[in-house]
Amino acid sequence: MTEKLFDAITELSRDEALKVTDELLQNNVDPNDILDTARDAMQVIGERFESGEYFLPELMVSGDILAAVADKVKPLLKKEGETEKIGKVVFGTVAGDIHDIAKDIVVFMLEVNGFEVIDLGVDVPIEKFVEAVQEHEAKIVGLSGFLTLAIEPMRDTISALKQAGLDDVKVMIGGGPINGLVCDDTGADAWGPTAMDAVSIAKEWAGVRA
Amino acid sequence: MGGGKSVIDKKTQVELDYQAREKRVWDAIRLEKPDRVPIVCYDEYFSLKQGGLTPADAYYDPKRASKVFADEVTKFNWDMVSIFGNVPGKVGETIGLTSNRWAGYNLPDNQEYQFVEKEYMLGDEYDEFLKDPSDFTIRKMWPRMADGLGAFGLFPSFTMFSHAYAPISDLAILLGQPEVREMLEKLIQIGEEMNEHLAGVDLAVETLKEKGLPVFAEIPAHAPFDWISDYFRGIKGTMLDMYYQPDKLKAAINLITPHMIEYTISTARMMGFDHVAIPLHRGADPFMSNKQYAEFYWPSLKELLLALIDAEITPMPYWEGSYTNRLEFLTELPRGKIWGHFDVVDIEKAKKLLGDTMCFWGNVPVQTLISGTPEQTSDYVKLLIDTFGDNGGLIVDGAAGIPKEAKLENVIAMTETVFEYGVY
Repeated sequence: MTEKLFDAITELSRDEALKVTDELLQNNVDPNDILDTARDAMQVIGERFESGEYFLPELMVSGDILAAVADKVKPLLKKEGETEKIGKVVFGTVAGDIHDIAKDIVVFMLEVNGFEVIDLGVDVPIEKFVEAVQEHEAKIVGLSGFLTLAIEPMRDTISALKQAGLDDVKVMIGGGPINGLVCDDTGADAWGPTAMDAVSIAKEWAGVRA
Repeated sequence: MGGGKSVIDKKTQVELDYQAREKRVWDAIRLEKPDRVPIVCYDEYFSLKQGGLTPADAYYDPKRASKVFADEVTKFNWDMVSIFGNVPGKVGETIGLTSNRWAGYNLPDNQEYQFVEKEYMLGDEYDEFLKDPSDFTIRKMWPRMADGLGAFGLFPSFTMFSHAYAPISDLAILLGQPEVREMLEKLIQIGEEMNEHLAGVDLAVETLKEKGLPVFAEIPAHAPFDWISDYFRGIKGTMLDMYYQPDKLKAAINLITPHMIEYTISTARMMGFDHVAIPLHRGADPFMSNKQYAEFYWPSLKELLLALIDAEITPMPYWEGSYTNRLEFLTELPRGKIWGHFDVVDIEKAKKLLGDTMCFWGNVPVQTLISGTPEQTSDYVKLLIDTFGDNGGLIVDGAAGIPKEAKLENVIAMTETVFEYGVY
């Protein structure tokens, strides 16, 4: 019964997705199943983005549809069925840089691939990364930056994590001004040019086969 | 004094240098081989940093920044440079601008200004915008972008002023309101602050001219899609609009395109420039498919580029981000009329597709300039010269200009390689 919802989301039809959600709820389909279907559909969206079939508009629209479906379903959940997460990632755009698009894409891709992401937003002060890693006991940190000015705060954030004794935490960086040279320069453990690289790196670090 | 020309006819060495530099650059743009590969750099903060100044100094003390910039940038002997000056810090503070953040105010001193992207126009406001974009922008948008411009929200629709008694009725009543008066005082103040700021920036232009170094204008024009996406709807807003209300998005783009053309041409002529910079944003490879680019982005941008060329103004599009997938579109442009700056692109493909259409400018990776070595930088510049030099269609610069984080020795290596390896 939930196939229609899956199709509506993967075909990016908002009206159809909401109509089907209403029908499913009227037919007493378990709200958890509805959400699971929506999440499965998002994984397909992620794969299509990765393969170059979908671009940013499709990610934005599917995210919008998911939020609307979740709005309808969540109040009816008796107990929110949490799917098993494969790891925790603390993620943010570094201090002084207020760009969120690339960060949001990576967070989206990490989440649809089963990670719990603690998204600290943009212009994140160094201390906030350190505190978040300690509080959530995360072992993976992702630093995003759009401008060349992000390189210095990346370097400073990485050394602050080390100074706080968080040596077992691995840091990946990404964004327009980043490549292997810059990665070495900042002391990061890995870097990647695309959102899928972030997923592969995080999976490897979490001990999951990519 | 036999034989030679009279001293009176003789141009000074500085003038000759200036003309030689300009000719070198324009030859390359026209795909006619100059004497050597030109080097033309977007440098807003790198030279300032060499002189010990920060972006905050540029935004708040342009006079001092101008002197330092002119002293530092001329050391490289480049053929042409851009100039800083795009954020008048005091003006922003006076009107309580919230749509930008900048050094010296709410960003650290050493970081460049950034735009705070938001849906300044909501998804259900297209009809208001389409009815009268100026009215919408002034009365609705500005109060959302600057705390000090909130009183524009008290204005009636501008069509209400279209009767003969307006000046002694509606307008006078409006101007009697304390909030409006307070705002008008601020507007007068920003006019004065802007004059002072521009005088500071002009000082750099004049000083560089005296030293024989031409400056290229950064009068900005925008792709109509970017205009809507950057400033009105935000990236998320426009991308949702492409699915949920594509006709309204297209109507807004079509509405502003002729205005953009008219405004750009008149501004360039008023300021005496024969070229305009067009920083491009949302058309880069990862943002949309080629099909979407063809439907939403390219037609109005092409219209703008062709209209500028018709008006004998050379467009300087900065194809920011990765642009390899779009190169086919650019082949539709006329030969030797575009002064385009490339960021990240497959250079072999660019040469193959565009080598006979437009000059290739930029593309020296910022990563190499920042974290690489002089050898790596020099090797890349040689690769560019080997790839594009055969017909003269190459101008060297960093992919995103010269970032202030670049290492001095790498910038020197880039420059020296052009002077040594780039002679035709």
